[in-house]
Amino acid sequence: MSNSYYEFFCPVKVIAGKAALEHIPYELSGLAAKRPMIVTDKGVRAAGLLDPIIAACEESGLEIVSIYDDVPPDSSTTVVRDIAAVYRKEKCDSIIAIGGGSAIDTGKAVNILVSEGGDEIAKYSGAGVLKRPLKPFLVVPTTAGTGSEVTSIAVITDEKKGVKLPFTSSYLLPNAAVIDPRMTLTLPPHITAATAMDAMTHAVESFTCMAKNPLSDAYAAAAIKKVSHSLLQVMDNPKDSDARLELAQASTMAGIAFSNSMVGLVHSLGHATGAICHLPHGLCMSLYLPYVLEYNLETIRGPLGELLLHLEGPEIYSATPASRRAEASISALRKLRDALYKRCQLPRTLKETGKVTEEQLDQIAEMALDDGSIMFNPKEVTLKDARAVLQRAWA
Amino acid sequence: MLAKRIQPMASQAKRLYVELMFQVMGRALQAVSEVDGEVQKEAQVLPEGFLFEMMVMPEGAKLIVEHIGGGRFHYHGDSAPRAVNVSIQFKHLTHAFMVLSFQEKTSIAFAHDRMLVDGDVSYAVRMTRVLNRLESFILPKIIAKRAVKEYPDNLHLPEKLISAAQIYLKVATHFIQTARA
Repeated sequence: MSNSYYEFFCPVKVIAGKAALEHIPYELSGLAAKRPMIVTDKGVRAAGLLDPIIAACEESGLEIVSIYDDVPPDSSTTVVRDIAAVYRKEKCDSIIAIGGGSAIDTGKAVNILVSEGGDEIAKYSGAGVLKRPLKPFLVVPTTAGTGSEVTSIAVITDEKKGVKLPFTSSYLLPNAAVIDPRMTLTLPPHITAATAMDAMTHAVESFTCMAKNPLSDAYAAAAIKKVSHSLLQVMDNPKDSDARLELAQASTMAGIAFSNSMVGLVHSLGHATGAICHLPHGLCMSLYLPYVLEYNLETIRGPLGELLLHLEGPEIYSATPASRRAEASISALRKLRDALYKRCQLPRTLKETGKVTEEQLDQIAEMALDDGSIMFNPKEVTLKDARAVLQRAWA
Repeated sequence: MLAKRIQPMASQAKRLYVELMFQVMGRALQAVSEVDGEVQKEAQVLPEGFLFEMMVMPEGAKLIVEHIGGGRFHYHGDSAPRAVNVSIQFKHLTHAFMVLSFQEKTSIAFAHDRMLVDGDVSYAVRMTRVLNRLESFILPKIIAKRAVKEYPDNLHLPEKLISAAQIYLKVATHFIQTARA
């Protein structure tokens, strides 16, 4: 009997495609919500991304009661408390989070406070603290990378204690994720590339790490195919809404995959580098991905080789001997990174970022070893191993 | 019919085995923190008074150790003097039995969602490394390989035997002291 076991859970309704935003009023009415509040950031508002959503709601006779557009890139407990106060004052009954990871995480945290009561979000930190469903909650991602619209986790900084508070519960999942290509059409090339590589990394790690399972594999493989096929198309023609939609869907699919199978060393190193050197998460993912795959190679040769089909297509896959497919997959990812470097100078090494010093590598390695995702890396990682990977990623 | 009669006995045997293993592991954690520099280095990062628990949900067997400073652990048995800081909770007795009888590696058990972590994940990761180090010392290599993700290639037989002897001696002494008390 096989010793394998897995769990898979994703109850989020995905509403994806052209004119998806126009479904928001119907979805809210189905949840008996009449007074929604928008949680977003200034960049999203300045880019005019709220306009089609507000118009869609107005056309259906649904008033957006309040708009909070001051979510910072690294959201805090104070911000969450302030937004909850506005929500209560305006007697809102639902939340629409519009933005990237920070706005979505903030929306999740605000939903905890307005549903459970009180002003201290910290007391709901941890796993499984929430015991009942929260208020109606919709998410509209404006980047194609984080997958936060389908993950059951939020991270908020506690300013007083100077720590990041994790919140984990299936009740944090939104009722619906609305994926509309209009939301990512104006994303600058550098961010498009980094966030798409974030999605790619979610999918690759999901497919090769310890908690992989048949359902997450299916989502991960499809996401990898979409990113491989569409990313450079979007980089060459940013207004290609079909390709933009492919990337947005890939991000959501990769999010579903990794939230059910977790991620590994790329994320451990990326989280540590982000904390120490303040590099964007997607950039760290793109940067570390091939080096970590090389480190894990002998443990993941089988699944990594399978990914060649989705990275390069059937012709190259069938022309590559089975014993060389894993290396060919890493080469395909390196080739993609080179193409992105050529188009938008997305760094491929730590040195190319210009924001990391060689002296920081030890600190990054030590912090990475304590990251939760390292538990799911298929190969054991010692401090020496982490340092070696960082050294390879240096230049 | 026979199976129905055996089942409660098997369940009771599992329960006793898990309780015994927790008692051995708790004492062994204290012992390994007294003899191994690597474990002390890992534990030193934990705050003094840090309480770590492993338990079987909902109210099953548990082990509690405290970091008393200098990288040393103190085994508290199954009752904590105050709220624990990090708890690793097996969802069911069977899952604990599978891990403690080395049918499933700890890392696989995490990947299979057999266990939950309540508390700071970074400390839980650190404690998992300590547990892996302990298992590598006290178990024969062939069994340790079934318990840990990767058996450390720099752990050679003389070091393993000396450390294991010291740990087992301390565990036995602690058992005797507990029995006398």
